[in-house]
Amino acid sequence: MRFGIFLLAGLIAADDASAAGETIVIDPPAEGSVSVAQGLEAWGRIFEVTSHPRCSNCHTGPSDRPMWSGPSYGRTRVHGMNIQAGESRMGIEHLQCSTCHTTKDTDWDNANAKPHSAPRVAMDWALAPPEAHWFGQSSEQICAQLRDPSLNGDRDMLELAEHLDHDLILHWAWTPGGGREPAPYDLQSHVNDLLEWGTAGMPCPQD
Amino acid sequence: MKLTVNGEEYDVDVTPDMPLLWVLRDELGITGPKYGCGIAQCGSCTVHVDGSAVRSCQLAVGDLAGGAVTTIEGLSAPDALHEVQQAWIDHQVAQCGYCQSGQIMQAAALLDLNPSPTDNDIDAAMSGNLCRCGTYPRIRAAVKAAAVKLQEV
Amino acid sequence: MSRIGTIARRTFLIGSVAVAGGVAFGTYLAKKPIPNPLLDDLSDGEAAINPFVKITAEGVELITPRADKGQGSYSTQADLIAEELDIDPASALISPGLPHQAYFNGVVLEEGVPFPGYDDSWMAETARSFMSVPAKIFEMQLTGGSSTVPDMFDKLRTAGAVARETLKQAAAQRSGHSRADLTTEDGHVILPDGTKIAYADLAAEAAQIDPVTDVTLRPPEDWKILGTPRIRRDIPAKSTGAEKYGIDFALDGMLFATVRANPGIGGVLESYDASDAETMPGVEKIVPISHGIAVVATNTWYAFQAANAVNCVWGPGPYPESSAQIWDELDAALENPDRLDHRNRDDGDVEAALNGASPVEAAYRIPFLAHAPLEPMNATVLVTDELCEIWTGTQIPTFVRDHAMKILGFERDQVKVYGQPIGGSFGHRLEGTHVNQAVEIAQAVKGTPIKMTWSREEDMTHDYPRPAAVARGRGVVSEGQVETYDLSVAQSGLTGSWMGRLTGMSIPGPDATITTGSWDQPFAIPNYRVSGYRAPEMVPISSWRSVGASGNGFLHDTFLDELIAAAGADPLEERLRLCHHDPSRKVLEAVGALSGWDGPSLGENRGRGVAFVMSFGVPVAQVIEVTNTPAGVRLDKAFIVADIGPHTLDLANVESQLFGGMIFGLAHAINSELVYENHAPQQDNYHAYEGLRLYQTPEFEVQVLNNGTRIRGIGEPGLPPAAPALGNAIFAATGQRLREMPFNKNIDFV
Repeated sequence: MRFGIFLLAGLIAADDASAAGETIVIDPPAEGSVSVAQGLEAWGRIFEVTSHPRCSNCHTGPSDRPMWSGPSYGRTRVHGMNIQAGESRMGIEHLQCSTCHTTKDTDWDNANAKPHSAPRVAMDWALAPPEAHWFGQSSEQICAQLRDPSLNGDRDMLELAEHLDHDLILHWAWTPGGGREPAPYDLQSHVNDLLEWGTAGMPCPQD
Repeated sequence: MKLTVNGEEYDVDVTPDMPLLWVLRDELGITGPKYGCGIAQCGSCTVHVDGSAVRSCQLAVGDLAGGAVTTIEGLSAPDALHEVQQAWIDHQVAQCGYCQSGQIMQAAALLDLNPSPTDNDIDAAMSGNLCRCGTYPRIRAAVKAAAVKLQEV
Repeated sequence: MSRIGTIARRTFLIGSVAVAGGVAFGTYLAKKPIPNPLLDDLSDGEAAINPFVKITAEGVELITPRADKGQGSYSTQADLIAEELDIDPASALISPGLPHQAYFNGVVLEEGVPFPGYDDSWMAETARSFMSVPAKIFEMQLTGGSSTVPDMFDKLRTAGAVARETLKQAAAQRSGHSRADLTTEDGHVILPDGTKIAYADLAAEAAQIDPVTDVTLRPPEDWKILGTPRIRRDIPAKSTGAEKYGIDFALDGMLFATVRANPGIGGVLESYDASDAETMPGVEKIVPISHGIAVVATNTWYAFQAANAVNCVWGPGPYPESSAQIWDELDAALENPDRLDHRNRDDGDVEAALNGASPVEAAYRIPFLAHAPLEPMNATVLVTDELCEIWTGTQIPTFVRDHAMKILGFERDQVKVYGQPIGGSFGHRLEGTHVNQAVEIAQAVKGTPIKMTWSREEDMTHDYPRPAAVARGRGVVSEGQVETYDLSVAQSGLTGSWMGRLTGMSIPGPDATITTGSWDQPFAIPNYRVSGYRAPEMVPISSWRSVGASGNGFLHDTFLDELIAAAGADPLEERLRLCHHDPSRKVLEAVGALSGWDGPSLGENRGRGVAFVMSFGVPVAQVIEVTNTPAGVRLDKAFIVADIGPHTLDLANVESQLFGGMIFGLAHAINSELVYENHAPQQDNYHAYEGLRLYQTPEFEVQVLNNGTRIRGIGEPGLPPAAPALGNAIFAATGQRLREMPFNKNIDFV
């Protein structure tokens, strides 16, 4: 069976958010067309993305502290200003992420042009849930998490791809602006890799 | 472009990407919110939008989406002081005072959400506001005093 | 040469402006009376009894000529006048006045004399008194050096008393009573029958009589304002958003401007292309200025955006391009005999003591630091054919005026400088480059007022920083005691760099700031030497809160702590044993009692450090307690004791300045430095120059003592002991000795 799902980013979000995201095609390979070896290769690229600071810095697992990295910090470090995202993962308990990471519905291209300012997207800024723990985690650990429905938000391959499509924070990782290093490859390639990995049966290096 | 600040409606002719801070300061002459860094590092520009603390240097006026803006000038009723402001005076917090509009707006937002903050709550909520003079010991004391007063009201 | 001879020679070769003033201008200019500037601008029925007190029909206006950068100087100056004038200071208008020689600072240059702050001998006091001469002749109306209170303490109370007695004299002449039978209270002269005459009502008559100058100042026990708990006058407005800083000043029809100058300060603008920027929203005009370009727009943000879009081709900065090269120059100057600038401390025989012993040695580095106050540099200027008006927060109004005169070819009375409240300075506003730029812009749009604001990035990268320095210590300990202490410090001279920009003159002689805070400490060590080596001028540098003591305090006290540790002595006990100055000893004893000192250890992974630095005549001891957590060092509790001389004018404000100074010192010790690449600092905003945040701030206990002989200022002395206290505490908790700032290069903090 072959799925052909086309979704426009932001279709589900508010209208004016449509300017914000990138159009993604979710078109998985035919069932059985991807070998385990090819799936593992795809996973290798997925791991490059998930372990990249643009992604892993906000996937800090049980810690509610986002991370900062980049040339001006010298090394990866805990987000300054004693930021604690709390159980809400959005800082509601103390200082909301949105106090600085404001919602930017318009002018997406220039939203994050200013170096070192708080990144903005067309939705509320937040940390990933604790179970999606990537920061400092190995390829095996992240792979196990991503394929385990109890740890990935009860998502199958297509739902993971759709999540990448809908969640505009994730889009930001490839267009971070302000001189920040983007996540490797691009969003569409990452979605394609995810679909390839999923079609191969979500193989992990430890299998 | 229309916006509501401290209960007043204004119409300004600016590009939508102009940060709210610069609309307030240079277009409307509302100078309580201060420019310190322009990148959400200092908090001197903090205002409330629909009651939540926001760094006005980070919010494009075009993204305000009808939100009601409150600056420190509108924090209390005219000719009255908000309990946070009274505590700031009683504890003689300010030195140069330039960051204090933002500190006070952040503290008011904290107490609105959490009427009896612990030391850790205060440390977590108030550490995005930079003070170069080093008024922090008195900020801590003033937040606690204001919390007590607000509970009495 | 005998010791006395050496001292006498130094007194008259103190190197800097004293000689230039005294010799070049002679006693005539030094003694020439200064006219009262307020007389130029009086309306009928108003009196300006002296340069500090003006009585109008509405009431009393006090002139408070020292800038308020947050240290509360407007409040204190007004209170000093009000104490003798018998008015409620809250009822008086205050104004910093227009810049004038009458407001010269007679104390600020005293720190340059080669006598330590604890020395109140006749010789030392005479040398200090000489320093008011160049200050007067150069019209140094200058706020800095923690000098406002010592300079103004007698001056402003006398001004208040003279005004009071003159108003009484006017009332005496009107009523036929003798002045001696009259009293004053709350802005009124009281006749013997209880009749009250408001000061305002006496203004016209007071203006007609010669001021009564034979006044006696009230003894402190009679003070009603000074020394009593009260709310600083600027604090309510600073708590409601109502305070108008320079950056908030507005005029009708005003446009907004910003600049981009060569990141290599002093380098040229070779060419620029503004064709894209000129079409951007809100842009009115783009003009070249000295070393850069300026954008005039309808909104500051439009100006910022357009300035970034101008394509500028810069010439190289006129100094080494990188920090690496600058460190090499500093290393080359250290202990290079050709670079020896001064050796104000040379007790015993250090060379003999070091020879044959196996000395304790340590090498130190301290970085360039930005001032980075939260209010960026700004100035509002209106230039017409006849007049230049400047509204800006500045510590150097007379120099700002003189620079504008030079730019515009104007006479003195064509330039008016109106001082504004200041959102922090830490020495940044001892410079006037930004005002000069604003004057150039206003000249280009003559008739239209402009408010020029530096972006944070422009501010951080065009600051004149605290100089970087390198140092080496060598010492010998014996039988549990420090016996020999030898410290060499190399840095560029900031006085020459700064005064050169201000006056256009080169300053002869040694630069005391290279070792201020290390050579002048009140310790008696048998062999004790401190040498200052002057590296060439490189990056243009300036005064940063506590000036020489900001770095030297760290160098001196940290090396002392290392020697004490090597001797196996207790850090507090050994400092006390070595200290020969009674008020300083009491400060050390008090900080021990306040902190419950019983040694540097506080148990596993915990420790405390003590540090002592005397600066600006104020001995300050600090203790800080730290915990070494798995994630890094946490600051738990801090204790400060300072002796500010015989009187505490406003305790709440003194405490504020002391813990504020310590926090400023801790912040930079932990995480701040400027690193130069391509002639420019790489740290251009607070993400890379963090300072201290609330959650990192320890609890504080502050105690103020009054054993010193002379009243002192308190804006700076709280800073220098902070870094060594922290470094010493970290050594106690971890065994790791930190010899380079910022400390987070080598250890994590939480």
